[in-house]
Amino acid sequence: MTEYMPEFEHLVPASLDEALAVLAERPDSRVCAGGTDLLVNMRRGLVEAGTLVDLGMVDALRILKQDDTGLTIGAGVTLAALLKADLDWSQLNALREALAAVAGPTHREMATVGGNLCQDTRCLYYNQSEWWRRSNDYCLKYRGETCHVAPKGNRCRAAYCGDLAPALMVLGAEVSIAGPDGARRVGIGDLFAEDGADHLKLKAGEILVAVHLPRAEGRSTYGKIRQRGAIDFPLAGVAVSCRGRDDGLWFSLAVTGTNSCPVMVEMPAPMTRDDAADVFFRDMSRRVQKAVSPQRTTTVAPHFRRLSVSALAARLARGLAGVADP
Amino acid sequence: MSRIISVTINGRSYQDLVPDNMLLIDYLRERRHLTGAKQGCDGGECGACTVLVNGAPRLSCITLASSCDGVNIETIEGQARGGHLSPLQRAFHELLGAQCGYCTPGMIMAAEALLRRNPDPDDDQIRQALAGNICRCTGYGAIIRAVHAAALMMREDLAGAEVGR
Amino acid sequence: MKDGAKRHAVGQPAPLIDGIEKVTGRARYTADLDHGDALVGAILRSPVSHGRILRVDTSRAEALDGVMAVVTGDDCAVPYGVIPIAQNEYPLARDRLRYRGEPVAAVAAVDAKTARRALDLIVLEIEELPAVHTSDEARAPDAPRLHDNKPGNIEREVHHVFGNPADGFAQADLVREASFSCAEVNHAMMEPHAALAEYDPERDRLTFHSVTQVPFYVHLTLARCLEMDASRIRVIKPFVGGGFGARTETLNFEIITALLARKAGARVMMRLSREESFLTHRGRPQTDVHLKIGMTGKGRITAVEAEVTMAGGAYAGYGLVTILYAGALLHGIYDIANVRYDGWRVYTNTPPCGAMRGHGTVDVRHAFECLLDRMSRKLGLDPFEVRRANLLNAPLFTANGLMVNSYGLDECLDRVEKASNWHERKGRLGPGRGLGMACSHYVSGAAKPVHWTGEPHAVVSMKLDFDGGITVFTGASDIGQGSSTIVALATAEILSIGIERIRVVANDSAVTPKDNGSYSSRVTFMVGNAAIEAARAMREKLVAAAANKLEADPEDILCEAETFSVRGSAQSMLGFEEVALAALAAEGTINVKGTFSTPPEAQGGKHRGGAVGATMGFSYGAQVVEVEVDRDTGQVMVKKVWAALDCGYAINPLAVRGQIEGSVWMGMGQALSEETAYREGLQSHAGLLDYKVPTIVESPDIEVFIVESIDPNGPFGAKEAGEGALSGFPPALANAIADATGVDADFLPFTPDRLLEAMRKAEKARKREAAQ
Ligand SMILES: Cc1cc2nc3c(=O)[nH]c(=O)nc-3n(C[C@H](O)[C@H](O)[C@H](O)COP(=O)(O)OP(=O)(O)OC[C@H]3O[C@@H](n4cnc5c(N)ncnc54)[C@H](O)[C@@H]3O)c2cc1C
Ligand code: SF4
Ligand code: FES
Ligand code: FES
Repeated sequence: MTEYMPEFEHLVPASLDEALAVLAERPDSRVCAGGTDLLVNMRRGLVEAGTLVDLGMVDALRILKQDDTGLTIGAGVTLAALLKADLDWSQLNALREALAAVAGPTHREMATVGGNLCQDTRCLYYNQSEWWRRSNDYCLKYRGETCHVAPKGNRCRAAYCGDLAPALMVLGAEVSIAGPDGARRVGIGDLFAEDGADHLKLKAGEILVAVHLPRAEGRSTYGKIRQRGAIDFPLAGVAVSCRGRDDGLWFSLAVTGTNSCPVMVEMPAPMTRDDAADVFFRDMSRRVQKAVSPQRTTTVAPHFRRLSVSALAARLARGLAGVADP
Repeated sequence: MSRIISVTINGRSYQDLVPDNMLLIDYLRERRHLTGAKQGCDGGECGACTVLVNGAPRLSCITLASSCDGVNIETIEGQARGGHLSPLQRAFHELLGAQCGYCTPGMIMAAEALLRRNPDPDDDQIRQALAGNICRCTGYGAIIRAVHAAALMMREDLAGAEVGR
Repeated sequence: MKDGAKRHAVGQPAPLIDGIEKVTGRARYTADLDHGDALVGAILRSPVSHGRILRVDTSRAEALDGVMAVVTGDDCAVPYGVIPIAQNEYPLARDRLRYRGEPVAAVAAVDAKTARRALDLIVLEIEELPAVHTSDEARAPDAPRLHDNKPGNIEREVHHVFGNPADGFAQADLVREASFSCAEVNHAMMEPHAALAEYDPERDRLTFHSVTQVPFYVHLTLARCLEMDASRIRVIKPFVGGGFGARTETLNFEIITALLARKAGARVMMRLSREESFLTHRGRPQTDVHLKIGMTGKGRITAVEAEVTMAGGAYAGYGLVTILYAGALLHGIYDIANVRYDGWRVYTNTPPCGAMRGHGTVDVRHAFECLLDRMSRKLGLDPFEVRRANLLNAPLFTANGLMVNSYGLDECLDRVEKASNWHERKGRLGPGRGLGMACSHYVSGAAKPVHWTGEPHAVVSMKLDFDGGITVFTGASDIGQGSSTIVALATAEILSIGIERIRVVANDSAVTPKDNGSYSSRVTFMVGNAAIEAARAMREKLVAAAANKLEADPEDILCEAETFSVRGSAQSMLGFEEVALAALAAEGTINVKGTFSTPPEAQGGKHRGGAVGATMGFSYGAQVVEVEVDRDTGQVMVKKVWAALDCGYAINPLAVRGQIEGSVWMGMGQALSEETAYREGLQSHAGLLDYKVPTIVESPDIEVFIVESIDPNGPFGAKEAGEGALSGFPPALANAIADATGVDADFLPFTPDRLLEAMRKAEKARKREAAQ
């Protein structure tokens, strides 16, 4: 039979304070934005929530403001709205490419920036029906005892597959968070932890409010490895930014899809005029290979994800630096 | 838990009591007997359930009916005018953009949203707009041809109206 | 004179006669049927790959409020299966469980929530048994046996030799062997499975709606498994959202729904999830092909040897036909005198495989066309020339007794060679880009159906009544391919009437004549011919009435564009209504029928299994594919496809083009991304996110060329058009990838991980060679 939705109460608060109050009052509540991740998972029986706190009516989460200091994107802004927004995109290419690479166009009409960042991690043994998981004795991440991916380990290796996070990371984003203890602002990298069963460092009752991007400099881009041209989550994705300074070209890279959180890969030194480009990019590729640790969380071999994303990273970086492929 | 929602569907207003956990697709199909929107997957993976909510395409299989209070919903059933096919419907029919027809309601609604914001899309823009709608029969060629043909019909209609003025 | 009546009905692009329903949302598929008062059916499935059922306790489920019926293996002790001599499946498992997902019990309840809760209350005690998930595991000497009467887990072995392969190889200048492994794939039709059953205990009658491609099989199987008199059953096929072979066999959920309806004495709606639709499976099996070809220096094939092993899943299903097809269709496309074929259909603890578009041929054709390409390269020959060196000269019978009366492969080759600018572009596209080509063919209906009764293969009946309307009754199942439209067009053409005058009533066993259903591309050929015969009978009646009225000899009556006149005299012209009324005056409502049967010579060779592959005519196709391969990531982009298909004659060119595009594209899905994968027998692809049906983004432009060889027996010369082009795509792609990368891969699909691995291996081998 087709799966059916578990029962819950659906509340639609009109303000951030109201939403925070509901979360504080009801420990079994979950926030829901576009629902393209959460409702899919609920249909599969992966989420139990007594209350869904729908953020759709909270205007404070829909701000979108660009000024001299940078860009602020409300967590409730949909990906489609952001893509269509009349912004100065010149320095935000990685973000635009990452936005366009998420799921399919109809998902993007519904999906929000906050939901994308806070989406659940993914695994072949997890994103399955209740019958499937029960037949397989569940797993560490949810209801079970062992991890089928790394049975000897004691943590879940499910992969974080959001496309936006790496792009925002190389662009130097911070996020603001509201919660029962007030507001805080952290670097976007600090939102995540390397644990597939607990990958978000949001405390109980907290809501992601906005993403802040400093006025960007330099160029950036995002590339995604997937089997189909749309819909698919990244098998691996990489964002690269390149800033020219007096001492050479500085690169930042961030990878998604390979670990339980997005992984930042900094090049320790700039590429200078004296560097042999091939050597520099080969080193970059190696650094990416070392930094990521894809697991058997998809049907596609981990080794492939490592190789392809590191090769893609170097190629994208070459493109930004204006250095021809070898 | 249940709540009363007021919605406009294909130009008609309804007030209905819906359970909090009811999906929009089930509301449309079971409650309003609008079976055009189809369930093709177990949630969010195929686009067969696409309808327009306030003019934008939505996957009705992962939308809560209770979140639709006050919205305007358009489904495939509302596309024909006075029993006559809309340009997209006509083009899909005449150019065989629909073989088995199961993906068609979702496909046409996604294409409708495209043509409203871009009356003259190129192949790539059509591909991007329909990228989340899977069709297993056509190989998509006829669908792309149909969207072009419908766009032309709509533009010519518009031109005709302007000339008439 | 009406507009539609002016021109020929056939040979013109015609929209589907049921297309308006589809684009307006009015088309009712099974799940759309009114089921407000129906119970909700749900199925409990096996959690293990292999096990003995120790206990199924349904008492708590039965006691739950709102549960109206619970059924288990005890409710049906009659095995079923599409092949009468290989029926070894029960709708609900009895004693043994053989795959994860096999139905064990089912409930009908007042709503989905209750049904779900009832399933949770069923206690299932199982003794787990060792399982085998691949053909290698299943054929290992100490492998557990799935079926007690099938030693070695072999469902069927086939060993055929035609001509003298040893002599053939001796004559060859080049002999090459290669092994290919092709992944299992699924139809993934967009409509998930569903059935609606209504049982009336007062009359002992069952009315059954389902997504089937073959209502006739469903009817027979329900009668068999429910031990009901077939006359008490009525099977109706509503709109169906695709099938591609998945719905040819009667499926377990169909029988289960009927069992529930009878037990509850009620109406039961069963809607399977997408996951369950995948579990029901019947897809193309994982297939290993080991192939050996001998060739002269000029590209003439002198001998072929093929060893084929299919991992068929847990039950017989179509298995023996699939493994026979794989061998039989080594023939019928090229002129090959010496062929040895050894095939093994193996049982595995996975969901049963079945028929899928291009049934039996696709993986073997892939191997064959890939090896031909490699050999042409070795010999320095152009791949087109190698195909041309081996063309058939119709009419003829092949070495294994297949009848070939029409053959348009040469023209297909010419068309795609020219359109793709092959000779100018091949090898000159730059790094990472390439062109490849391949050929393919497919049957136009099995000349001898698996369920052989001796009856005609197809019957179409036709009614003319007081309203002047022609109603055509057919059991042919339109599943989106446009069969009802073909019947209407054939009728319009023969009667010279507008298609607006015709209504087609299809697929209601209480109303329409029996038909063997939609499989093996039989409908256009067989039902088309039956429709022509029925229309001719109708026309005879009308001509006789017109002759009577015009006081002329029937021989002299011209029937054109809804008018009847005497040849040579334009004065006295009668309209269609007038003549219809005159004909009706003589005998009242007119009912005629037409039939189609295949002649014995079409029914294949005399060897065991010789009927499989035998057909009235083959379609032939040639394709060129252009690709770009990303050497860093292994990602393949298909830039363009040129596809020519000889379909005999295009009764509806619009539909033929749609079928060619659709089948080429489905071949692309199998070649690029689609694959059913298992983890210990659990499907890891059971959704449309993980089973990678191509999206519109990576789907290329497919330029179609229709070739018409006019088959002497085909309706207006037509043959099949819906399957033949599929199997050309995977090898054409493989050959294009070889052109682009220098890598000859031996697997399907070309997922980026596999291809990157293959490229790296090839690179290493090259380096090793260079170092030596
Ligand atoms: C078929 C399919 C394909 C997909 N492909 C991709 C892909 O390619 N790339 C990709 O990145 N994603 C993909 N997704 C996942 C998803 O669509 C996106 O990540 C989307 O951006 C999620 O946004 P949402 O608003 O719908 O989130 P929701 O589903 O509403 O929420 C997701 C999670 O975030 C939490 N959350 C939401 N908003 C906040 C907030 N403001 N503060 C705190 N927590 C919050 C929710 O509680 C929930 O746990 C895909 C989904 C589907 C169904
Ligand atoms: S990584 Fe292990 S624990 Fe985590 S979801 Fe996968 S199988 Fe479960
Ligand atoms: S039914 Fe498949 S996306 Fe909604
Ligand atoms: S027409 Fe059948 S799925 Fe698109």
